[in-house]
Amino acid sequence: MFADITIGQYLSGNSVVHRLDPRTKITIVGIYMVVLFTAVSAPAYGVLVAFALLAVALAQVPVRMLARGLRPVLFLLLLTFFLQLFLTKGRVLFALGPLVATWEGLRLGVFMILRLLLLLVMASLLTLTTSPVALTDGLEAILKPFRVVGLPAHELAMMMTIALRFIPTLMEEADKVMKAQMARGADFQSGGLLRRARSLIPLLVPLFVSAFRRADELATAMEARCYRGGYQRTRYSPLRAGPLDWAAAALTVVTALSVLALRWWPR
Amino acid sequence: MPIETVELTHVYMTGTPRAVTALDRVTLAIGDGEAVGIVGPTGSGKSTLVQHFNGLLRPTQGRVLVDGVDLWARDAKERRAHQAFLREVRRKVGLIFQFPEQQLFEETVFDDVAFGPRNLGLGEAEVAQRVREALRAVGLEEADGPGLERRSPFSLSGGQMRRVAIAGVLAMRPQTLILDEPTAGLDPRGRLGLIEALVRLRRERGLTLVVVSHNMEDLVRLVDRVVVLERGRVVLDGPTREVFAQGRVLRSLGLDVPPVVALLEGLAARGADVRTDLLRPEEAADEIASWLRRREEGIAGVR
Repeated sequence: MFADITIGQYLSGNSVVHRLDPRTKITIVGIYMVVLFTAVSAPAYGVLVAFALLAVALAQVPVRMLARGLRPVLFLLLLTFFLQLFLTKGRVLFALGPLVATWEGLRLGVFMILRLLLLLVMASLLTLTTSPVALTDGLEAILKPFRVVGLPAHELAMMMTIALRFIPTLMEEADKVMKAQMARGADFQSGGLLRRARSLIPLLVPLFVSAFRRADELATAMEARCYRGGYQRTRYSPLRAGPLDWAAAALTVVTALSVLALRWWPR
Repeated sequence: MPIETVELTHVYMTGTPRAVTALDRVTLAIGDGEAVGIVGPTGSGKSTLVQHFNGLLRPTQGRVLVDGVDLWARDAKERRAHQAFLREVRRKVGLIFQFPEQQLFEETVFDDVAFGPRNLGLGEAEVAQRVREALRAVGLEEADGPGLERRSPFSLSGGQMRRVAIAGVLAMRPQTLILDEPTAGLDPRGRLGLIEALVRLRRERGLTLVVVSHNMEDLVRLVDRVVVLERGRVVLDGPTREVFAQGRVLRSLGLDVPPVVALLEGLAARGADVRTDLLRPEEAADEIASWLRRREEGIAGVR
């Protein structure tokens, strides 16, 4: 039942992309996303698509895996496309009764789909090639400078690690409670929306009860080991950026600059 | 409701590099009114096996027959009918998971036990009758404090919570009861109370009982037949007495024999003339007393 959830999944591997420092990867994806929203012309999208394709190829992630993660948002993609297609004013492409499709709408629609697709592909690529622990480590390192303005970087990263760590545990437990209630005749699969929502109560109450109990126990265990937040903690595996990271960063900068140039270069 | 498995194989995460074979061609038959214990080291497939008994899992290969009907023989077109059929099987074969108190969710003990009967669509009078009957069957009566039915299940002790959860399954009036580690984590009183309740249920209603447990003493009290699993295969299957006589095999699997058997074996190894195939403490006490008497008579005879 929970097998189709691929968001945030990690696929272990040893590709070039897997070996990049998580800080590099997070920064690259961040820059990429910002630049993505400045692209307005076909050549700019060409550059961005090429970059994404290169990243996917280098990561050696099965395309099927990526596609499966995109399936849930397919509806959203199509909806945006058609909204753009029919609601943009311009030269008429064709008309379906009162709905008028325009050339400008087609152009914007295609760009919008590309934009969302690239956004999703890059984001899933990041989680697919970076283990949750590395991801939070990288995030913590990136957020560290903001500590001077009171941002609890370490605590945030810790909370994220814990949350990620307990996803499989909770899923297992949900599966168990669901089976136990099914053994008592519970039916999670039929009935209208309201009935289905109500049928979740016997599943959700036990899950919440045990999640709170677990959180309590974990907090006690951490206290018992004298855990204190991030100040002056050393790391088991310190992050190190190598030549590979510099190369990837350079490539990203070149890509970003060319996309920006394509928009603002004086014609 | 005899339960039968034929060459039952279950593989978790098939088609991935992390595929695990939990059950490997298990063929087993559990007859009406039998009481069967299932033992085996951690990861031997015990819990997977019992989830097949009421159709919660679908076999990778092989068949599961309940009352002679293959649980998974129907084709995909009859999906609705199949769902209804499986629900009926799950009513007749009650499964109680490990730590069942974790599945409690209602505001009162009464409502929680009533969850199953209400799912059956019974009238409130019938539901109330079944709830009282089920609570009585697990030994939770007015003696445990008036108004127990109206209290929150979360305010009870661990042993009581577990018994409420078991009552929740009993209220479905199953013909077979499967329990996964029913006594784990209970204090001695809770443990004895639960075992007594199960023994009484079996005697009074002729329930078929399947018990997964690491506690050999509990099994001695509850079952007549023991099946030993190891890495998804049946390695021993026979009357309790015979299986527990195989101390060497059990220990090689990291399992234990009941303490009574260990005691008698120890005495025999030190030269005492006692039987080693007794299982209950009372039987062992009789045997040791009679051996001591025989020995004294022997010594007196020599004088």
